[in-house]
Amino acid sequence: MSAPDEKFEELASLHAFGLLEGAERAEFEKQLESDAALRARYEALCATANALAFSAPAAETSRRLRDRVMASVASEAPGAASAPVAVAPIVRPNFTSWIAWGVAAALAVSIVGLGSLQLKLQRSLQIERDRNALREVERQQLANALETERILAAHQALALSTAQEKIAHLQQEADVAQLKISALASLLSDSPDAQAIAVWNPTQQKGVLTVSKLPALAADKDYQLWVVDPAYPNPVDGGVFTVDAETGEARIEFTPDQPINQVAKFAVSLERKGGVPKAEGPMVLLSL
Amino acid sequence: MGVGKAHADSSDEQMSATVHADIALMQRVAAADQSALGELYDRYHRLLLGVAVNILRDPAEAEDTVHDVFVTVWKKAAEYQSHRGAPHSWIITLLRNRAIDRVRMRRRRGELLEHAAPADLPHEAGDDQIDAASNTELHEQAAGVRQAVARLPAEQREALHLAFFSGLTQTEIAERLQAPLGTVKARIRRGLLRLKDLIVLQP
Repeated sequence: MSAPDEKFEELASLHAFGLLEGAERAEFEKQLESDAALRARYEALCATANALAFSAPAAETSRRLRDRVMASVASEAPGAASAPVAVAPIVRPNFTSWIAWGVAAALAVSIVGLGSLQLKLQRSLQIERDRNALREVERQQLANALETERILAAHQALALSTAQEKIAHLQQEADVAQLKISALASLLSDSPDAQAIAVWNPTQQKGVLTVSKLPALAADKDYQLWVVDPAYPNPVDGGVFTVDAETGEARIEFTPDQPINQVAKFAVSLERKGGVPKAEGPMVLLSL
Repeated sequence: MGVGKAHADSSDEQMSATVHADIALMQRVAAADQSALGELYDRYHRLLLGVAVNILRDPAEAEDTVHDVFVTVWKKAAEYQSHRGAPHSWIITLLRNRAIDRVRMRRRRGELLEHAAPADLPHEAGDDQIDAASNTELHEQAAGVRQAVARLPAEQREALHLAFFSGLTQTEIAERLQAPLGTVKARIRRGLLRLKDLIVLQP
C-alpha cells in the first residue's frame, strides 16, 4: 500500500469516528468533495464504524418514550395534510329563489373564507411553535453558557486563591532566607552560661531576642540591647528588657530606633532603669 | 440523491431486504407519514438506546437523546441520501453525534471522564446480551458484528471502542491508552479496515 493511500485511510478512519479537527478536518472534507472514489471509500468506512453500534448491549425503552416521540412528531408535522378545502353546495339557479341563491353564495364565500382563516391560523400556530422551540433552544444554550461561566469563575477563584497562598508561602520562604540569626555569648565571669539568640528580619526591620541564664536584675537596672551597624558611629538602641529572676530567661521582640542597613553584631549591656541613648554600662552579651 | 431516488440506485441488488424496507420507510417519513416513523422507531429504538447508554452512561439522558434523534429523523428525512449509506447508518450517525455533543458538554463541566474507562466498555460481547435488533436480519447483523469485533486484536478493539463510544479526542484516547498518538491512529485505522473485511466476510 502506498503512503498516500495509508494516509487517506488513517484520515478516513479518524473522520468516520468524528476524531478529525480543525484544518486537518477541513482539508480532508475538501478532498472528499472533489473525489467521488475517495468519498465512496470513506463512506464504506463510515458504515463499518457505525456497525460498532451493534456491539453495544441493547437497552429497553419505556413505552412512554415512544409516546413522547410520536407526540413531538405530531406537533411538528412538516407535511401535515392541509386544511380540507370547503366546497360550496350546488344550487340550481331559480329565478324565484334569488334570495336563497344569494344566501348560498354568501355561505360558500364564508366557508371558503373560514377554511382560509383556519389555514392561516394553523400556519401562525406552527410559526409560534417554531419560535417557542427556538426560544427554548436559546434559553437552554444560555443556561449552559451561564453554567459554564459559573464553573470557570469558580475555577478561576480557586486558582487565584491557590496562587495567593503560594505567593504567601514563597514570601515566607524568602523572608526566612533573608533572616539573620546570631548567637550571643556571655561576657560575665560570674555567669559564663548566660547566652542569647537574636533573629533579625531586615525586610521587616524587626527581631526577636531570646536570652537565658542572665543574672537577675537590681530594681534600678535594665538590660539593653544594641545593634551594631557600621553605618552608624554608635550602636543603635534595640530597647530594654528584664529577665525572669529565677531562670534568667526573657523573650523580647525588638524594633531598633534607627533603620538598620547591616547587622554586624548584637550586644546586650547592663544599664540604668529605662535605658540610655548610648551604652554606658558593662557589656554582658555579645554576638560570636 | 435523495430518498425519492433510492430505488433507482444501481446498487439496489446488493442491498439487503432490511435496507430496502428502511429506505421505503424513509420515503414515507419524508412524506410526513407518522406511522412510518413509528415503524422505524420500533425497529431501531433498542439499538439506538443501547448505543446512547453506552456513550452517555445515563439512561434518562440516553432516552432524551433517542427522542431528539427520532424528531430529527422526522424533520430531516428528506435530506437522507441513500447512496451514502443505509438509513440505519445515517440514524446511528445522528445519534452518536448528538450523544457525543452531550458528553463533551458534560466533560467541559468536568463530570464524565472517569465514567469512560475502557474497562466499562462492552469489549467482550456475549451471547447473553439483549438482542439489539428486532427482526431476524438485524439480529444476524448484530451477531455478525459482535463476532467480527471479538476477532480483532485486543488493542485494536479497545481503540475502536474508545473512538466510537467515549467521546474522547485522539489525544485523550492516546492518554487513556497510555500509547503514542501515532500508535493509536494506526490501531484505529488497522482495526477499522480489519473490521470492514471481517464484516464483509460474514456468511
